[in-house]
Amino acid sequence: MRLRLLPRSAFRPLIVLVAAAAAATCLAACGSNGPSGGGSATSGTINWWGWTPTDTATAQNYISAFNKQYPNIKVNYKLVNISDWVAALRPALLSGRGPDVFDMQPGAYVTQFKSFTEDLTPLAQQALGKDWKSKVAPIGISGLTSDGKLTAMSVGSTFAGMLWINEEIFKKYNLSPPTTLAEWEHVCQVLKQNQKGCFVQGAAQEGFDQDTLQSIANSVQPGLWTKASTGDAKWNDPGIVKTLSIWKELFTSGIMQSGAVGYQQYPDANNDFLTGKYAMVMMGTWYTQYATSKAMTAALSAAGVSGAKPFPILPIAFPDVAGAGNTSEMYGDSDFGLAVSTKSKSRAAAETFVKWMTTTTVGQQVVADQLNDLPALPSVQPNFDSIQLVDPTSQTTPVQDLIAKAAKVTEPREALLSTDVQNAILAAATSVATGKASPQDAADTLQKAAEAAGETFK
Amino acid sequence: MRPSSERQPERSDRPEPSEAVVTRTIERRQLHPERAGAAGDDGRIARRRPRRPPGLPWILPALALSVGVIYYGIGYTGYISTLNWDGISPDPPHVGAGNYTRILHDPVFWDAVRHTAEFFVVTFVVQTVLGLVFAVLLHTRLKLAVIYKVIIFMPVVLAPAIMAPVFRHMFAPDGELNSVLRHVGLGALAQPWIGQTSTALPVIMAITVWEWTGVTFVLYYAAMTQLEQSVLEAAKMDGAGNIRTLVSIIWPEMRGTTVALAILGAIGALKTFDVPYLVTIGGPNYATEFLGTYIYRMTIPLDHVGYGAALSIILLVAALIISIAVQLGGRERKARD
Repeated sequence: MRLRLLPRSAFRPLIVLVAAAAAATCLAACGSNGPSGGGSATSGTINWWGWTPTDTATAQNYISAFNKQYPNIKVNYKLVNISDWVAALRPALLSGRGPDVFDMQPGAYVTQFKSFTEDLTPLAQQALGKDWKSKVAPIGISGLTSDGKLTAMSVGSTFAGMLWINEEIFKKYNLSPPTTLAEWEHVCQVLKQNQKGCFVQGAAQEGFDQDTLQSIANSVQPGLWTKASTGDAKWNDPGIVKTLSIWKELFTSGIMQSGAVGYQQYPDANNDFLTGKYAMVMMGTWYTQYATSKAMTAALSAAGVSGAKPFPILPIAFPDVAGAGNTSEMYGDSDFGLAVSTKSKSRAAAETFVKWMTTTTVGQQVVADQLNDLPALPSVQPNFDSIQLVDPTSQTTPVQDLIAKAAKVTEPREALLSTDVQNAILAAATSVATGKASPQDAADTLQKAAEAAGETFK
Repeated sequence: MRPSSERQPERSDRPEPSEAVVTRTIERRQLHPERAGAAGDDGRIARRRPRRPPGLPWILPALALSVGVIYYGIGYTGYISTLNWDGISPDPPHVGAGNYTRILHDPVFWDAVRHTAEFFVVTFVVQTVLGLVFAVLLHTRLKLAVIYKVIIFMPVVLAPAIMAPVFRHMFAPDGELNSVLRHVGLGALAQPWIGQTSTALPVIMAITVWEWTGVTFVLYYAAMTQLEQSVLEAAKMDGAGNIRTLVSIIWPEMRGTTVALAILGAIGALKTFDVPYLVTIGGPNYATEFLGTYIYRMTIPLDHVGYGAALSIILLVAALIISIAVQLGGRERKARD
């Protein structure tokens, strides 16, 4: 059968009609939307995927506060374990059925997922003005920007480079926080004699090994770790070799718990510290939230302890393990930014949520009061009048000092490291810890791996 | 394509065979006189071929599934293995056999191969011995035999994902195993079982033996029901004891089952992923890294999809070679016997 086509002129009214309808639709849709369009900016459903907040209660807290202002935007939070993050996110984004908003960690993940994110520079300008960069913590911009594209807006930052101690245990055994390697060994000996765990670390996870190694390196030679990360020093620099030697000493001197290289920081080390089995743990500012009664109680419950009484935790400086007189400085990155997927069908609503969380005083105040992150807007501070610490007498000053100190930190934590280098650092750390390689050999292997991964060195 | 006269010989309106076709038919008859009868002597091409039911429509769904999914998948993985690809980039560079060359110089790969070989030997031997002994014991008049069968087979149906946290806890430094050792006066043996390289792999082997001995037992138990009672009775009359009967009569009769279990065990060892990933994450320091976990590590967390694909192809080839070798080895022994 042959179709009889109408003459072209007969289509003209139809074309005009379709064009008019399309224009009207665009005007209706774009008129009330943000800069990018894609649905309504004040209603709809958006799916937010993240590995943090690590408990859904915190995320729901953020969402509840958001819904007071935007009741018609429903936000579904899906918590994905950090170890499954790439495996879950990549196919979801590729399929187009993934999240509208997702967490973005500075560093390797930015490289991996930048092609799936909207450039949020216009959103930042719209919310904070043309000088938006001056209103946001710089650490939250650099790590989330790649090739001039702002892949995500920072929610807040986290910092590491100190230890947390169980104050009750230290008081019970009349111990002072250690400031040197020898003092640290002494504390662990006393606790061991009393059948108590001393320091617990999930040495099977690269991120937390890096924290301890970076702290040791800062004690050996401040700034060396960052120099190696940027290629200004080699990973087999004598300072890094000494760092690995001290790392090894943590295992041989009994500071590190038995079987540490088979431990995960989460959940193993975290649960062991929160259940009072160990007195010390290497965690960053994100642990400040457990200084509060509410978060500590929830964490104890999650760790499997029913009816446990919250105990006060205190941040202490990382000991001067090299004995060189260097105070081990802290380091940090944006904890996470919120990215908007290019494939989102509710892009305008997603942008509303991201804008509220990252650029409004109300949203940032909720973030600050959670004590999980230091807010991205430096003008916002935690309101300690409304935050209930477990033991305000002992905790208020150290916690406030920690937040004040962290706000001045400029040294990056993981933002400069690729996944290959992080993997090589883990291999170096575990091979030294298990005695499979000497610190020098492990450092040489690490340097070779970094070069093979395409890193360039001066 | 064959001429229409050959494809539709039964049609009455078929054209007469051309002279050339008849000539070729005669030539074929001369070359293959044994087939000539099938075509008949009247020279009619229609009767030259035996009638067979058309098979293609019947195997088409399975063929489409195999070719379209499995073989296409293998082919595509082979193609990816020649790329330096992160799984996302639209235009990855070709590296030829570069990934394979790197694998040959990768110490973690060779560690994984060594772990796989050790794992197969230990788990296969232990499971075979335990499975055979359990099967023999439960063929005797044992009380509560049904309960024992359930206990032996139960681990097979328990998902590793459910059991992994239990084992992590059990083998932890302050876990149940060390607690038991301390309570029975063997505290000196207490150690971080999955937190040190020397004991992590044996723990993975022990968990696997616990999990899969039930399958070995069931297969041997089923095979033993096929044994000729008269042979066993004859052995008994000849004065063979239980152990002699087991070694000289039952064990040789189980060869087919053992070969099948060896093939399954070898392929299972090559594919091992769940237990080491869930219990030790391939660590500590790659001490429990297997090909399966290494493929995952390289492909997903580290984004080396091309390298992971090359590892997958190597695993596939290894599985094929081992299966064929074990199969041939079993046949040769059978032929010799």
